[in-house]
Formats: sequence, C-alpha cells, structure tokens
Amino acid sequence: MTELRQAARIARTSALYEVLQPGRLAGAGAQLGVQIFLTWCLWRALYDAVPASSGLSREQAVSYAVLATLYGRLRGPDRDVAGDTVRQHVWSGSIVYWYLRPVTPRRYHWLRAAGDQAYGLAWAAVTYAVCRALGLIGPPASAGGAALFGLTLLLGQFVLYYLLALVDVACFWTLRNFGVLAIIRLASSLFAGAIVPLWFFPGWFRAISSWLPFESSLHVPLSLYIGRIAPADAGRYLLVQVVWIVLLALALRLAWRRADQQIVVQGG
Amino acid sequence: MGELVIEALGLRKVFRGTARRPGFGGALRSLVAPERVTTVAVDDVSFGVRAGELLALLGPNGAGKSTTIKMLSGVLVPSAGRALVAGHVPHLDRPANARRIGAVFGQRTQLWWDLPALESFAMLRDIFKVEEAAYRLRLDELAGLLELSSFWKQRPRQMSLGQRVRCDLAAALLHDPPIIFLDEPTIGMDAVVKEQVREFIRYQTAERGRTIILTTHDMAEVSRLASRVVLINEGRVVYDGSLADLQKEYGSGWKVRVTFAHGAVPPALPGLVGTAGGEHLFAGTDPAAQRHLLRELLDRDDVEDLQAHGDDLEDVMAAVYRKRAETTR
Ligand SMILES: Nc1ncnc2c1ncn2[C@@H]1O[C@H](COP(=O)(O)OP(=O)(O)O)[C@@H](O)[C@H]1O
Ligand SMILES: [Mg+2]
Repeated sequence: MTELRQAARIARTSALYEVLQPGRLAGAGAQLGVQIFLTWCLWRALYDAVPASSGLSREQAVSYAVLATLYGRLRGPDRDVAGDTVRQHVWSGSIVYWYLRPVTPRRYHWLRAAGDQAYGLAWAAVTYAVCRALGLIGPPASAGGAALFGLTLLLGQFVLYYLLALVDVACFWTLRNFGVLAIIRLASSLFAGAIVPLWFFPGWFRAISSWLPFESSLHVPLSLYIGRIAPADAGRYLLVQVVWIVLLALALRLAWRRADQQIVVQGG
Repeated sequence: MGELVIEALGLRKVFRGTARRPGFGGALRSLVAPERVTTVAVDDVSFGVRAGELLALLGPNGAGKSTTIKMLSGVLVPSAGRALVAGHVPHLDRPANARRIGAVFGQRTQLWWDLPALESFAMLRDIFKVEEAAYRLRLDELAGLLELSSFWKQRPRQMSLGQRVRCDLAAALLHDPPIIFLDEPTIGMDAVVKEQVREFIRYQTAERGRTIILTTHDMAEVSRLASRVVLINEGRVVYDGSLADLQKEYGSGWKVRVTFAHGAVPPALPGLVGTAGGEHLFAGTDPAAQRHLLRELLDRDDVEDLQAHGDDLEDVMAAVYRKRAETTR
C-alpha cells in the first residue's frame, strides 16, 4: 500500500508541476489546438494541390498527420523544464540526493518517466476524442487495426522510454549530451514519422527506418490505425518492437549498474 | 560517550577523467588521444564519530572534505579503505543506508525545483514511507524551529538562499535519521539566518542526540558547535582532537592594540612588539600577562583606543597547516 503510494507520488510529479501552474497548462492546451488545426489545414491543402503518390488517401493522410501531432503531447511533459533529468542533476551535483533515498535512482527515473508518459497519454486521449468528434481524425480502418494500434502504441512507448532514458543516463559519463540528445530528438521525430508520414519517403529510407527503433513509437501504430499496414502483416513490426525493447532494456540496466558503481559528482 | 557510529577507515578516493585541451584543435586532439588525468581527492582518511557527537570536519578548499562526506554517506564508492555507518558499509545497501542518515549539501538542494516546498516534503514522506501522524508531528517541530511556514508554499527557485537551505534541513530530517551529514550548510547566509541554523544544529545534537558531521569555513560556528575537530589537508588527516587542545598547541597567543592620545608618551610596558602609525602592538602567550597589561592600560587616561584579541581560530588553522606541511616534507 505504501509502496503504491510511493510510486504514485513519484509518477505524478510532472503532472502536478503543470497543474499547479494554470498558465502553463493553458499554454500547452492552446499550443496543441493551434498545431492540430494548422496540420489539418496544411494536409488538406496539400492533397488538394498535389495528387498523392504515397498510396495514402486524403483521409488517411490527414488522420495520420493529426494523430502524429498528438504524439508530441504523448511523449509527456518535458522533464528538462522541471530540472529533474540525470543530465541536470549530474551537472549541478544534486544527483547525490538520488543516492540518499530509499528508492534507487533507476526506479525513480522509471517511475517519473512512466508518470510523464501516462500523463501525456491522458492528454492525447482527450484530444483524440475531441478531434474525432470534430471529424479531424477518421475512425480506425478496422477493429483488428484498432486493437493492434493500441498494442503497438503501448510497446512503442516502452521503446521511446528506453531510448530517452539511455541518453539521459549516459550523462553520468558524457555530461554534455546536448548534441546526442538533439540528434535522437530529430531522429525519433523524423524516423518515427512525426514530421512527415514515412510513406512519403523513398523506399531505401523506409528500409533503413524499418530496422531502427524510432518508427515503432508512432509510424507503426498510426499505419495500423489508418489501415496502411494490414493487421495480418503486423507480426513483423511487433517482433522488431519486442527485440528493441529487450535490447534497450538490457543496455539501460547495464548503464545504471555502471553509473551506480562509479557515480561522479561535480564540484565540492 | 556512546559507541562509534561513523567510521572512516583508510578512506581513499581517486577520480579519473580526461583533460580538455583548449580550442577547437585541442578538442579534436582530446577526442583522438584523450589525456588521462587522475586526481587524488582523498588520500588516506581515518577517524571515528561516537553516537551523539558533533564533529567538525575542517580544511582548506579542495582538501577532500566533501569527497569524504560523500563516501561516508554512501554516495561515492571509495577507491580504497572502508566506511562504516551504524556498522554497515553505506554504498552496499543505499536504500537501507538512506533511512539511517540525512544529508544537506549547502550549495545544492534536494527540493524539487518547480514544486512548492510543502509538495517536496510530501514527496519525501512517501519516498521514505513515513507514517502520516509522525510526519505531521515532525514537520510541525521542524517548521517551528526553522520558521518555515511563511515561505514553504513557494518554489525553491523563488526562495532566498537562507530559506532554501532551511527547507533542505527540514527535508533531510523528515525521516528522523539518527545520523546527519552537513556539508557547508551555512555558506553564503546572512548573520541572522546563520545564527538560526546554528541553533538548529546545536539542538539536534544536544536535545535530539543525533550524530553529526559538519563541514564549514566559519570558525565561530566551529567553536560554538563542535567539541571535536578533524582537520584534513590534501586528503589526509592532520589533526584529530578537541578544539581546546588545538588552540593550546597551535595558538599564536594574545594581542593587544593600543592607540594613545596625541602627544602622550607611551609607557614602557612588557610585551611591546612594535609600533605602526600611532598604534602600539603588544603580544604574548601567557594569558596572565595579558590581563595584567589590560589592567595597567585601563588605569591610564591617555589611552584613546584599545583592542584585545584572543586566539583567532583562523590563525590557528593556518598555523596547523603550515606546521604540518613542514613536518611532512
Ligand atoms: N568529480 C570529480 N572529478 C575530479 N576531481 C574531483 C571531483 N570531485 C572533487 N574533485 C577534486 O578532489 C579534490 C577534493 O575535493 P573536495 O572533496 O570537493 O574538497 P573540499 O570539499 O574539501 O573543498 C579537489 O582537488 C577537487 O578538485
Ligand atoms: Mg566541499
């Protein structure tokens, strides 16, 4: 019971941080609304002007693009802003306190991320409902597609968590990971299909992408949603997701173990 | 005195890293052939602290005080030697160790930067699984001692340094640890807050029986709080004993500065060591001689200004470092 309370308390930190600042909350909502509206306008206009060659119908493309905009929110609030990343704590030296609590840093970091992503998911779910009601997003292509959408979306969240956590934990050694972080951010947006649906890219790009972890967070679930990947073909994608989850989880475990052994604290 | 609750047994910490060369070319060279540097932050440190004792860990900047505290509190793994806290090696089971100790590193906060301090306290309550009733009582007591209630709804980023550190002190004690590490808790504070924090620290040992290791550069604080001091320099213990003995052994004696009225003829009193401007300096080591001199001076009516100094602890410290450096070379 106290275990659960502890976990919930840690997980809700970012949400609390936003809720306690109504201005920030309203800003995030307004920003999301504007983004969705602009994306919707843009993709409709694009399809009216240029006949599509991606194999996506207008409705599919618009649904995909609007859903991809929700993805920005799905990643959860930016923990950088709250100053609670390994990078920031190693940099300022306050990482010492993570080792002076009865919750291991690994668990704390995981609970924070889980809370952030759950909070993001709540946002995305509400916005999704609104967009569906307004007709900005079409219904899922099939019941099977919808179910697989949910499953791959969930697995994709794990992939995303491990990627971001690894980059963050790497700061125990690299200290400055702005470069790496920027590359991963770009890659995880580009290869995920958050900027432009991957169906619009040339074949070689899609081939590379299909072996990388990034597309599993967004491209795969959305393609299942709009029916561009048939439920019968989902097996291969699920396998890639699971393999990445196992690999990244092992890497993260290793990274934490090394960090716990040779933690270095900046400054006196 | 109680049993030993903190033990440093030949502690040593070596940091390995790579040096950065200046400039773009340097950065490239560092990337290809990184220049390895090792820093011996703590060389060989041993001492023990008994239950209920407040020990001041002193030394110049870079002496290795913070690194020693980080090893004793289980944050850092020693390169050699052993730390024992309540009979356990702290870094081997950090969660269990965390329940036994509390820590404040004055220059950094453990509060969540963007949450009101009260939210941070509630967070720590749940992280340490403190019972609600016990939490209420403790928070009430801490808030009373540290006068937190006027600002604890603010976020640390809006607080003054003194407010923030007082919240950090409360945060470190919410789980009622018997052992506390305080690394420069009063650094940068104004005199009033400093006094409040000192009184708080004194209360925690004297009334609560907590065992405390404190580092500070403030000698008034040391003489007020600590009965025992450990001095470290360049990662080694150079003195371990009572403050009184330290002063006796290394004290430079008393000084009296006197300014006589214009035109007065200064008397030939014993202990005169020099005259600069209109000021005469008397010095000696025998306290009785100082008392005698002061009586003589106070009887005269041509004394315009008079300042008597005891042993300045800062001077004592400097003397220790000098003498030890000479004997170890
Ligand atoms: N993370 C680190 N990496 C490299 N050197 C360090 C590190 N932390 C401390 N040092 C060095 O170790 C020495 C002792 O530091 P510290 O324990 O902070 O001293 P103090 O607290 O007594 O001022 C200093 O020379 C410092 O530069
Ligand atoms: Mg220090």
